[in-house]
Amino acid sequence: MSSVATLHGADVHTGHDDAHHGHHHETFISKYVFSQDHKMIAKQFLVTGIIWAIIGGMFSVIFRLQLGYPDATFPILEDFFGHWAKGGRIEPEFYYALVTMHGTILVFFVLTAGLSGTFANFLIPLQVGARDMASPMLNMLSYWFFFTASIVMFSSLFVQTGPASGGWTIYPPLSALGDASSGSKIGMDLWLVSMALFIVSSLLGGLNYISTILNLRTKGMSMTRLPLTVWSLFFTAVLGVLSFPVLLSGAILLLFDRNMGTSFFLSDIVINGKILPNEGGSAILFQHLFWFLGHPEVYIILLPAMGMSSEIISVNSRKPIFGYMAMVGSLFAIAILAFLVWAHHMFVTGLNPFLGSVFVLLTLLIAVPSAIKVFNWLTTLWRGSIRFTPGMLFAIGFVSLFISGGLTGIFLGNSGLDLHLHDTYFVIAHFHIVMGVASFFGMFAGVYHWYPKMFGRYLNNTMAYIHFWVTIIGAYLIFWPMHYEGLAGMPRRYYDYSNWQSFKQFGGLNEFISFVAMIVFATQLLFVFNFFYSMFKGRKVTSSNPWGANTLEWTTPINPGHGNWPGEIPEVYRGAYDYAKDGREFTPQNTPLGENESGDHH
Amino acid sequence: MSAHTASAEITFHPEHAEGTKKIWKTFWLLSIITIIELGIGLAIYNIHKGKDPNETLVLMFKGMVCILTLAKAYYIVSIFMHLGDEIRNMIMTIVVPLSLFIWFIIAFLWDGNSWKNLRNTNAGTKEYKVEKVEKPAATEKGAKD
Amino acid sequence: MSTTAMPTNTKWWNGGRSPFNISYGKVMMWYFLMSDAFTFGAFLISYGTLRFSQNHWVDPNHVFNSFPFAGHSNLPLAFVSLMTFILIFSSVTMVLAVHEGHNMNKKGVEKYMILTIIGGLAFLSCQAWEWTHLLTGEHAVWVNGHVEYWNTTVSHNPFGPEITINGQEYATPGPISFGSYFFEITGFHGFHVFSGVIINIIMLIKTRMGHFEQRGHYEMIEKAGLYWHFVDLVWVFVFLCFYLI
Repeated sequence: MSSVATLHGADVHTGHDDAHHGHHHETFISKYVFSQDHKMIAKQFLVTGIIWAIIGGMFSVIFRLQLGYPDATFPILEDFFGHWAKGGRIEPEFYYALVTMHGTILVFFVLTAGLSGTFANFLIPLQVGARDMASPMLNMLSYWFFFTASIVMFSSLFVQTGPASGGWTIYPPLSALGDASSGSKIGMDLWLVSMALFIVSSLLGGLNYISTILNLRTKGMSMTRLPLTVWSLFFTAVLGVLSFPVLLSGAILLLFDRNMGTSFFLSDIVINGKILPNEGGSAILFQHLFWFLGHPEVYIILLPAMGMSSEIISVNSRKPIFGYMAMVGSLFAIAILAFLVWAHHMFVTGLNPFLGSVFVLLTLLIAVPSAIKVFNWLTTLWRGSIRFTPGMLFAIGFVSLFISGGLTGIFLGNSGLDLHLHDTYFVIAHFHIVMGVASFFGMFAGVYHWYPKMFGRYLNNTMAYIHFWVTIIGAYLIFWPMHYEGLAGMPRRYYDYSNWQSFKQFGGLNEFISFVAMIVFATQLLFVFNFFYSMFKGRKVTSSNPWGANTLEWTTPINPGHGNWPGEIPEVYRGAYDYAKDGREFTPQNTPLGENESGDHH
Repeated sequence: MSAHTASAEITFHPEHAEGTKKIWKTFWLLSIITIIELGIGLAIYNIHKGKDPNETLVLMFKGMVCILTLAKAYYIVSIFMHLGDEIRNMIMTIVVPLSLFIWFIIAFLWDGNSWKNLRNTNAGTKEYKVEKVEKPAATEKGAKD
Repeated sequence: MSTTAMPTNTKWWNGGRSPFNISYGKVMMWYFLMSDAFTFGAFLISYGTLRFSQNHWVDPNHVFNSFPFAGHSNLPLAFVSLMTFILIFSSVTMVLAVHEGHNMNKKGVEKYMILTIIGGLAFLSCQAWEWTHLLTGEHAVWVNGHVEYWNTTVSHNPFGPEITINGQEYATPGPISFGSYFFEITGFHGFHVFSGVIINIIMLIKTRMGHFEQRGHYEMIEKAGLYWHFVDLVWVFVFLCFYLI
């Protein structure tokens, strides 16, 4: 009765018995559009993410034009944007719409869906040794919900009153009252609907990632043998599954406030000389709900970048990752703390100061696991035989940015200092470096490293090196000066700083930042070109394991079909980081233990 | 081997042979707890009806109802949803994330209470005084919220 | 079944098997319910937060004190207890359906699924009656120096503190968020009950058509059951937050 059945290879996942018979009945639609193959879904996420990144990045260039050259006019803008940029100078309403959509697009559509959607889909089944996600059907739906959310958000760019323009955090009452601003009308409703669809997408994806990692690991792949990428994607999924629903609640309540006359977030408001009947709600309540998601969201963005950097740094240093268990533990600690610190975004909103002090304490605790991770990355690099592949450069760049952006977080986490620093360019500098650019670097590292697995070709190296050096130098040139502007009290979200005597001194600096931003953006277009060019013309991959890595994805054929392994799924005998062990440069996970080998030792 | 194999990942098939006795026992347990809750609810109602309601007593009763509700939740999850029959790994992966609710609840309610204080003291500039519509029974406030 | 019968030395986490000894579908269902618990949790907690921020809150016994066909009699808690028992009972029939599924008893599953669906529909009808009652029932309220008759909606309600004008007692407008949250949360819960009923009907049809018998197991019934019990679980907390305290 109670026999413990042994599982092996092909029938781990009953739905895919036919996996190795390849792809005969596949049509264009089932292979490229409504595909249920996790690798194709990953590519769909990536390409959609790239398109969004171009749009979001383009927006930042346009509003940087305004900030850098407040007095100049660019007639070409009027040609494109009509009455939004009358006389070649963007209107204030349009400026706020651009800022809002830049934040929304990059945080949710690029760095959440584009980053963890891509790499969780691509890497989890390959690295844990599964033929596909637990439920390929829901996985496909996850992409199509994301696609629908994208369409809704994109269409909001074209409504007459403009897209949402109350900042990506959509604080009420501005976002709750249609009369408050032109961006609070239909654009805001579309924003909320789009986010609701997005949350469904991330839920379906997250459930799949979690159950695949837990249930579908191949034989021998114990949790402590998982590559750190999978660990980080696991915690990312947990964060998403538990925190996005809270944003859903907030969005539903906000929709009610907008359309049904409820008073969840509204109280004592006078608009256009009229007193609204709403009473007893609280705008701070929305901020609590928003940041209960919003803070974990920061780690949803950052953790995959951490995991991929760990993997890439170890592979290209030809050394085991330093402190594997400490890495997993610190990921876990970060995931827990992510849920406990949300109100540090709200120190000056009227939050109870004593409650705030608890949040300060919890916030500063995050420094501990972060420091452990940084230390372990550096010690992994230490005395390694480093190969400076483009992926490796971006992974090291990630570490650099994580350190320099993370340190300013210690300032902002103190509620006393935050009184001065909140809502200044210091904050902008902090989160762009630590979360925005750093995660982008993690994403680039992942793309350069796993591109050969995705498309069977390499990206062009020359373009990659140009891309790296311009981007890292540019990122620091853009965001480093913002710290000084912020310390001098320059607030964020202003349309034209030249109106203030105290900020006039930054006119030249702002112009410089805008100039660099344009160069960096152009360099990203070079990457996009490289991405699509190499897909067809890139150097072909000739060996199935081009980086000499240990993880399972490199045991598949160069262009794996649906089902990943043509034969049986390999069995795993060792951890993912047996580099430079027993005189061998690397030892893949499916290599059985040698006679005198002791097995796992972390 | 048991007759049914739901999925390949399941390596061990426990027997589901136990009768329905446990289910009915849980049903009666839930019913009794609910009836006790109703009793307490009516007690609170009667205290409110009387002049000068005893706030501490009401608060105590409300605390008791909360505990009883948690007991009900425990029985539903553990017996009806069969979580109690799963192996420990599963139980922990459900229960541990739920503990996030503790700080979630404390922080939110703490701040909500603080808004009330801010409003009543005009952000700390005047003495705390419960704003009441002209009615002498100022004690009513605590009992009703 | 008892946990002691499990092989104790199994290396659950070593891969090649589920560490929980359950299928990925059930893992996904459990985690979906966790996620949904956070949605409901966020609703109820923000309700609590606003309630804590008010000096006066509505006394539920004043609001929910009627019963169908009982006229104007004052019966606090009576109707909602009926609703609670309906839901608990339908949970029992659901768990019995799951039990019959374990025993591969198609007839038994069908019988209990039908009972569960009836329970769900009964609950929804009760909710419809209660909403109608609140939306149509009017009370005298002292507003801006005169008496008005107000019903209970998302944007106003007549359950504020009482004041004495010329020796006569009048209610004043109640906290708006009470009505807002009541309709929003019970509506969201009702939507879950409704979708649960739809799922159960689909499961019943699939059982009738013998899909699960062919498949050799009734795991889908178990998953639908998990969802249904979760709906019951949420009601336990809604009952606590809106009706009891």
